[in-house]
Amino acid sequence: MKIYSSKLDKKSDKAIVVDDMLLTVDMPTSAGSKMLDGYMSLFEAEAITRLKANGYDIVGKADVGEFSFDLLGETSCNGAIVKDGKLCNASAEILKADEAVATVNLEVNGTVIRAAAQNDLCAVKPTYGTVSRYGTVPVACSGECVSVMSRNASVCREVLGVIAGHDDKDGTSLPEPYEYTSGVRRVAFLKSMTQGIDGEISEKLSSFKATLEKNGVEVCELDDEVICLSNIAWNILMSSELCNNVSRYDGVKYGHRAESFSGIDELYTNSRTEAFGELLKKTILFGSDNLSTENYMKVYDKALRIRRVISEAFAKIFGEFDAALMPACSTLSYGEDYLQSNKDAAFTENFYTAPASITGLPAVAVGGIQLIGKAFSDMMLLEAAELCEKEGK
Amino acid sequence: MDKDTFRRLELLNQLKLTETEKADAFAFFGSREKERLALDKIDTSSVERMVHVMPIMTVVREDVAVQKFSREALQQGAPETDEGYWCVPRVVE
Repeated sequence: MKIYSSKLDKKSDKAIVVDDMLLTVDMPTSAGSKMLDGYMSLFEAEAITRLKANGYDIVGKADVGEFSFDLLGETSCNGAIVKDGKLCNASAEILKADEAVATVNLEVNGTVIRAAAQNDLCAVKPTYGTVSRYGTVPVACSGECVSVMSRNASVCREVLGVIAGHDDKDGTSLPEPYEYTSGVRRVAFLKSMTQGIDGEISEKLSSFKATLEKNGVEVCELDDEVICLSNIAWNILMSSELCNNVSRYDGVKYGHRAESFSGIDELYTNSRTEAFGELLKKTILFGSDNLSTENYMKVYDKALRIRRVISEAFAKIFGEFDAALMPACSTLSYGEDYLQSNKDAAFTENFYTAPASITGLPAVAVGGIQLIGKAFSDMMLLEAAELCEKEGK
Repeated sequence: MDKDTFRRLELLNQLKLTETEKADAFAFFGSREKERLALDKIDTSSVERMVHVMPIMTVVREDVAVQKFSREALQQGAPETDEGYWCVPRVVE
């Protein structure tokens, strides 16, 4: 159990903690995996370079779950963080302890949005392609985004403003200028996305809805069953991409190497088997199965087409509304034993976060809920988050 | 998922699961297969695949050779090296 995977002896009023998915040259990068334990990168993430150039100090690295696609970081090779019988997220703990103004994280499968929602923090997962992914440990490249979490929306906005922008070194970086929209007038409350939520989340949604209405924003209930399929398709795409991305770890050029092996094949197999955790292993196998000759068209290709169907469903919603309101998670905390009865929670609890992951749309978590907007509405979503924060004070 | 297919996946991915991990993985595969059936209810025959979420293509950079890192630097994290080479077990018997 570790909150920081590395920490520098630095004090700063512009302290930023990055998560262990971003490469740093002065601290190791492990991605929460025994495979990369102690790995030192030769270059740093573009987001870090931009933060440093703008006067921010990177003071440490927050621990993450193995390759950061679990619930809150519980699959880290350092163990889960448990406080008062509840699962915790390292970045959220750092912010709650006021040890940084913001954390910069790689959002793969909803961990950042979920952690912010559960800890009364604010997080923004930006429009895909607006923040460079150069220098991040790749997991599910078609959907993952460098994101920001903070105690309030204004800091998220400031930090996002620093790290966003075109980067030649990232082939998926969008050309500038980004035409950010502003002004929330109409919000769609996606009723179909509320399945499985508990009473506390339901109250958070009602309270946020009331805040928006009090501030002159029209909120209308909508049902969209297609969006509810997001996590099923995202699970397929994420696992398939992850399977390919982690195939590079073989114990030869860097990373963990098994001590015992009789030949090259055993070196690969023993190194990977020893270093990878249980969730990662079954996800690799699932991804590999999706990409097999038998399943490629039936499963992987189908998921890519469903991604378009979901994107079009959102486009239709955003033809009439500025944002979509929905839960970020089913509950405000997961008990220590939650994973015993929900072993595949990373693949089911992402029901609420997968819509933004699979479409690349921006999402903001605030006040225990989530807002998703059309591409480049990042700042507008943060404006809405500020309304909620003001109401809370 | 039958046992032979599972073993083939293990071999392809250079992994060897314990019996407990296998049982858990089988259950995991079963749950994913069950939920996947919901996707089949949507007719996507006339829908194009969406590989990129944004209208972007991989940028082709100038093809200029640069030596960014030295061999020594690149080998810093290597489990075993010898005179500038990465060491692996004998591959030709």
